[in-house]
Amino acid sequence: MDVLMLSAEQNTPFNYFPIALQLVIAVGFVVVMMLVSHLLGPKRKTEDKLINFESGIPSVGNARQPMGIKYFLVAILFVLFDVEVIFFYPYAVNFKYLGKEGFLEVVLFVAFFLCGFIYIVKRGALEWED
Amino acid sequence: MELYDILFWVLSAIAVSCALGVILSRNPVNSVLFLILTFFAISGHYVLMNAQFLAIVNIIVYAGAIMVLFLFVIMLMNLNADVEPQKGQLVQLAGVISGGILFLVVLASIKTAKAEIMDKTSTDIGLISNLGKVLFKEYVLPFEISSVLFLSAMIGAIVIGKKEEVKTSATAKMEHVSE
Amino acid sequence: MKAIIATTVFGVIMMFAGLWVNDKKSIAGLATFLFAALLGVTIWDLTTTSVNSPKSLFNDMLRSEHYSLWFNTIMTGCSLLYVLLMGKEVQKVGKYVSEYFALIFFILCGLYLLSMYNNLLMMFIGIEILSIPQYILAGSDKRNLKSSEASLKYFLMGAFSTGILLMGITLLYGAARTFNITEMVTLMHSDALNPLALAGILFIMIAFSFKVSAAPMHMWTPDVYDGSPTVFTAFMATVVKSAAFFAFLRLFQVSFNSLSEHWVMVLAIITAATLLVGNVTAVFQQSVKRMLAYSSIAQAGFMLFAVLAVNAVAWQGIIIYAVAYSVATIGIFAVLVKLKDYTYDGFNGLAQREPLLAFVTTIFLFSLAGIPLTGGFMAKYYVLLAVVQQGQLMWLVIFALLMAAISVYYYFRVIIAMYFKAGTPEISSPVTGGDKFMLVVTCALVILLGVLPQLFLTKV
Repeated sequence: MDVLMLSAEQNTPFNYFPIALQLVIAVGFVVVMMLVSHLLGPKRKTEDKLINFESGIPSVGNARQPMGIKYFLVAILFVLFDVEVIFFYPYAVNFKYLGKEGFLEVVLFVAFFLCGFIYIVKRGALEWED
Repeated sequence: MELYDILFWVLSAIAVSCALGVILSRNPVNSVLFLILTFFAISGHYVLMNAQFLAIVNIIVYAGAIMVLFLFVIMLMNLNADVEPQKGQLVQLAGVISGGILFLVVLASIKTAKAEIMDKTSTDIGLISNLGKVLFKEYVLPFEISSVLFLSAMIGAIVIGKKEEVKTSATAKMEHVSE
Repeated sequence: MKAIIATTVFGVIMMFAGLWVNDKKSIAGLATFLFAALLGVTIWDLTTTSVNSPKSLFNDMLRSEHYSLWFNTIMTGCSLLYVLLMGKEVQKVGKYVSEYFALIFFILCGLYLLSMYNNLLMMFIGIEILSIPQYILAGSDKRNLKSSEASLKYFLMGAFSTGILLMGITLLYGAARTFNITEMVTLMHSDALNPLALAGILFIMIAFSFKVSAAPMHMWTPDVYDGSPTVFTAFMATVVKSAAFFAFLRLFQVSFNSLSEHWVMVLAIITAATLLVGNVTAVFQQSVKRMLAYSSIAQAGFMLFAVLAVNAVAWQGIIIYAVAYSVATIGIFAVLVKLKDYTYDGFNGLAQREPLLAFVTTIFLFSLAGIPLTGGFMAKYYVLLAVVQQGQLMWLVIFALLMAAISVYYYFRVIIAMYFKAGTPEISSPVTGGDKFMLVVTCALVILLGVLPQLFLTKV
């Protein structure tokens, strides 16, 4: 625990030790519970119990059906704007330090993205019905 | 620092074995899941190097968004039939030999390199504020220019992904008939 | 620098032009105007930069050397020529005409970065901006399954090679501790060379060989060039390939010059393999479009000579080769898109039906084969001269001459089909007076290059 106390003032990887610990406990709890219930619970395998459950209706066809490209289109546009937002974090932290110049840089970057966004909307990429 | 070394080796083992899982598993969905695990392990490495921003971005963008895209692509394909083409023995042999030679070259260069022992004392280079200072001062041009890349990606999404209007394909068919 | 801003803005303008203008013809007209304006901007860039003092831009991210600006100007000129010759054909590819032009503007942005970069990061972004629009253009003909295949294949292979490039950059950074390619030189020169740098150079060489389709990293080229819409193949095989070569040369000339004894032999073998594979496989092709794809591999073999020769003549060689090859190939593709049948038989009897078309095609093919008095001859002369001046690799020069002789066979097959075989070639779109005028201009350029190459050379 000394390590943790000492490094509290500095910014080191070990500041994240509590988070890691929490993560391990959270994931570990789920894993242990699932394993234990799996091992301890009684199992009666009958044919009716082993078929896929589909809201009580007899299952039809195959689950591996090709899905619409529209989902993909929205997803890929999401990624692009996601990356744009990521760039704002380092800017926000240094907002005062970078001053007017930095502001103009970010505005230029956002302007390009705004052009792209207007273009996407006008082209109807986000319209679900076509 | 004992803990550091243990974490380093554990994360490395996870990263390498999951990366192997990506290429060795037959089911593409399993490959994607292995890749997500690899990204998490690499994020752990970033945290060890005190680059927390990269660690988070790696999880948000790569493990979160891009992997979802990968899954979408896999679901767009028809995976019912096992149609993976088998390469000929000769091609496989050629691949193994050339890959092995490349591996040897890299291994030799790394082995003889004067790699300085990794600095374990904490540096602040990877922290978000320092990263922002470098990104918006020194590397401002690549930052701005990357928007061109994003614009082309947006155009690509429209040109490739958007259904062409029914009218155009109908007229195209008409033209085809008249020919 | 002005050119980079201009091409980005023009690209955005073209993006929006498609939203408000529905007429494909006026979109193409606007694009042509903007390309001409862009040529003006590059010339402005060229004249406002002094020859001897390269300007360092943005913390040394870019360095506007005179030869870089000259290359920008020439390649923008080639793009203008391309749009003038094929603007009409671009309209036929699909619905998103203005987007195609926007993507071409973005490709030019990548080209400008690649000719001026002084930082490996800029090189990487340049290559990406050059590549990604190409993947899209390759797949733009959505009704054609082969086009989609070309796009996907190109994308997957391209992404893989980009990964290799990044690995190389990483290793190089580990050895030199800088991304700056001129600062790197001093660190590379030291006697105790870090072996990581050599591995990095190897990886970067592999990645660039892929981008310029040098054997054995050429496998994607025939399928991609064959499957993509013919108009875009013309652009990919010429301007884009030249840009990749220029970037290749820039890095190896500026940064790795002093290490040349380590990598010259590897590159010489790649060059020999490229010449062999490109020329020999081209002989067996039945489709002229596919033959041109292999011919572009063969021509890449010659352009690699410029990279091999680490001296000043190499810059002259790459610039003149880029322009001679680009102009002649764009010309041939402009004729090819007029025809319906891309096999050799499709050219049968073209001389009777369209004598002018047949004549200019003959000149373009002469140029590609390297017959004297055409641009191709001077281009081959300069790149080989660069290596000969270096005084080594004479075997490779002789081998290249041998391969150039083989190339005459498959280029002349087209000429024989046009002049000595009877047939009625099917023309897909009427050849207008404007087309003929532009083809004659292109043809005149090819001859001008062969007679007065000094006009296209620059101080290095």
